[in-house]
Amino acid sequence: MVDPFETLGIAPSFDVDLTSVEKRYRELQRVLHPDRHVGGSPADRRASLGKAVEVNEAWRLLRDPIRRAEALLRRHGVRIEEGKEPKPEPEFLMEMMEQREALSEARASADPAKVERLASAVRKREQEVVARVAAAFARAVPGGAMAVNGGGATSGELDKVVPLIGELRYYRRFLDEVSAIEDGFSEKGSAVSND
Amino acid sequence: MVLFEIFDPKAAPRPIGIDLGTTNSLVAYVQDGRPMAIQDCDLEVLLPSVVNYDERGNVIVGRAAQRRAASQPKETIVSVKRFMGRGANDPETRRLGPYEFAASAGPSDANVVRFKVHGKALTPIEVSAEILKTLKKNAEDKLQKVGGVVITVPAYFDDAQRQATKDAGRLAGLDVLRLINEPTAAALAYGLEKKKDGLFAVYDLGGGTFDITILVLDNGIFQVRSTGGDSALGGDDMDRALAEMLLARMGVTEASRSPDVVRLALDAARAAKHALTERDALELELPVAGGGTSVVAVTRADFEALIKPIVERTGVACRRALKDAGVAPSDLDGVILVGGATRVPFVRRYVRNLFGREPLADIDPDQVVALGAAVQADLLAGSGPRDEVLLLDVLPLSLGIETMGGVTEKILPRNTTIPVGATQTFTTYADNQTGFELHVVQGERELAADCRSLAKFTLKGIPPMPAGLARLEVTFRVDADGLLHVTAKETTTSIEQKVEVKPTYGLDDAAVEQMLLDALEHGEEDLDARRLAEAKVEAERIVLATAKALEADADLLERGEKERVERALKGLREATAGSNASAIQNRIDELDHATHEWAGRRMNRAVARAIEGKEVGTVEKSVAGAKGIEAHLAAEGHAAHQDQGK
Repeated sequence: MVDPFETLGIAPSFDVDLTSVEKRYRELQRVLHPDRHVGGSPADRRASLGKAVEVNEAWRLLRDPIRRAEALLRRHGVRIEEGKEPKPEPEFLMEMMEQREALSEARASADPAKVERLASAVRKREQEVVARVAAAFARAVPGGAMAVNGGGATSGELDKVVPLIGELRYYRRFLDEVSAIEDGFSEKGSAVSND
Repeated sequence: MVLFEIFDPKAAPRPIGIDLGTTNSLVAYVQDGRPMAIQDCDLEVLLPSVVNYDERGNVIVGRAAQRRAASQPKETIVSVKRFMGRGANDPETRRLGPYEFAASAGPSDANVVRFKVHGKALTPIEVSAEILKTLKKNAEDKLQKVGGVVITVPAYFDDAQRQATKDAGRLAGLDVLRLINEPTAAALAYGLEKKKDGLFAVYDLGGGTFDITILVLDNGIFQVRSTGGDSALGGDDMDRALAEMLLARMGVTEASRSPDVVRLALDAARAAKHALTERDALELELPVAGGGTSVVAVTRADFEALIKPIVERTGVACRRALKDAGVAPSDLDGVILVGGATRVPFVRRYVRNLFGREPLADIDPDQVVALGAAVQADLLAGSGPRDEVLLLDVLPLSLGIETMGGVTEKILPRNTTIPVGATQTFTTYADNQTGFELHVVQGERELAADCRSLAKFTLKGIPPMPAGLARLEVTFRVDADGLLHVTAKETTTSIEQKVEVKPTYGLDDAAVEQMLLDALEHGEEDLDARRLAEAKVEAERIVLATAKALEADADLLERGEKERVERALKGLREATAGSNASAIQNRIDELDHATHEWAGRRMNRAVARAIEGKEVGTVEKSVAGAKGIEAHLAAEGHAAHQDQGK
């Protein structure tokens, strides 16, 4: 499994500055992108392609808070897998079910304003949970960055991150559905004006 | 003969960029750092993408073909790009048009639409290759010798459409360095001209395709954030809408439509569209059913009412692309207009309202894509400002595989930066199962049947074992052209699987090779000469690259490795002096083998140098960061992993 922090050569931390990580990503691509090695030997081109793919993937993982948290946990030997986290609290599950029902209703009644209201409420909660994940990592690893092999991190604090990631996945799925519904709305909108 | 001129030391081959458009195509090159379009012998830059096949077997391309479109509608293929990578039953191929299609040769026949012309069946790839050949000839008249070529494709083209374009290039005898997306090419031309960093939208409405691309320009790097569009939407649709109206006014019913009258209506509509960019109204004299002519008045308001729903369809894709990029119209530093259809005043008004700003159109929207392609060809050929410019493009449509119940499982989401890879693990569901079929689709829909079918892959040779024990690791990789490659491995025995690719739409390599053979006058003989010439060029390139690498990074060679590389290099030099193509290829493979690991180390050194002393993160110089790269020296670069047990 690729460690995105190592691939991009940046200090592992949840609170990374994405703007400068993106700069780093671009600087790396400037050197190793296949376009830079068109005149090279097949071995060079293969090496460049493999590395470019890896760097693209690393940047994709790091800018996603869920994957970023997973990569950090992995560095500390905490393995998590989608769907295998501990179950969230029943109240949370209940609430998400209600939200999803409300979303289905909004879809059925073609009510974009309601969809947007539901989405922004979930987005707000997503941000709050991301902040809690950041705080938990900060407590687990005082000083910000983590040592190479995770020495010094308190595993108790890290374990608290795991259910939060589960929660983030629920929000992610909800927002993906919102996205699909919105696409459906705008396509239908244009189809109507097409007639 | 052209083939042997490759070795003429006097004229150096020049890289060119080609915009293979729906309506017009053109070729450009870079002269003294500036891209320039190449004129044909009539001093025209735009070559109408029209191909006529006469009864004596001659092929006529461009304006002369266009003049025959009205009298020979079935033998004159217009807007062939709309048919690229499409099947005979695709809704797009069944729209208003005068063509006759050949029936499929049977179930084993690749699903490719074929035009029936003089009893022959022609694929869109062959028709497009004729346009490319003409452009190549025009370029050769100007530059003597043509080197590598960059061909542009709509950003929203799927894998089948891209593959078809690349095949057309091969068939035309071009050395296709790269396919690049049209909006990105346009941004390249603008970016180099204006030298201004920022966030830009490129709105590209061509003859048959619409693309919207949101990209960041930062210090020479053009990084696409998102792209969207419709590969069946363009100025042609405006012509068709207006033509439908004209046909109605001419009293032509659905039943009485002949190819001639359809062609006539389409041509009149196109002329009216052009005239209405300047004028508010015009009158067309058209033949009416039952004889005689009638004068039909068309106002700009009529035209705008007809095209409004077409133009509004572009808004859906624009909003989605903005959302995918995570930006609002107010975040943009500029909107660039590309494509002939953006000359229509209604389109400009629409774009202005949508993005809340006056769009840029100061580089000719018909030429800007080819100019950008020429710049990229120049860069790839190593003659441009190499260290400054780089394009980072994305996968336009999600790639997925069909799972149980016909549901699509996404393996790579749309707007992922390419090149990119993903690995998935599958297992067998029956005891002693030795084969496995995968269906790869492209698109955003939940059901595989609603997505575009790209290919079926058959994995063979799995060692017999109980169900669920085999572990098939399938790696999907999308290269910098946006083309998909699949490899597979059985991981418990590490047996490389044979992957048989059957493209759903399009031709396999053997079919393209056969076409190439058919196209050459002396068949096999010419092809052999061509193979030898190509092998020599490739060998010389590799010898040069390896010598350069030895100069720079010989210290990275391990003991014994250096001797092996030098021996292989000497062997390749000797083989290149001979005239045995397969011997050259063997020596290339040998050198490749000898330099494989060294290349990985060299790449890692380049990476380490790029980030040396430039720290990113919340702390000062981190040991972890520096060590990380070093640690990677050992762990060979692999495709990104997305393991998901199945």
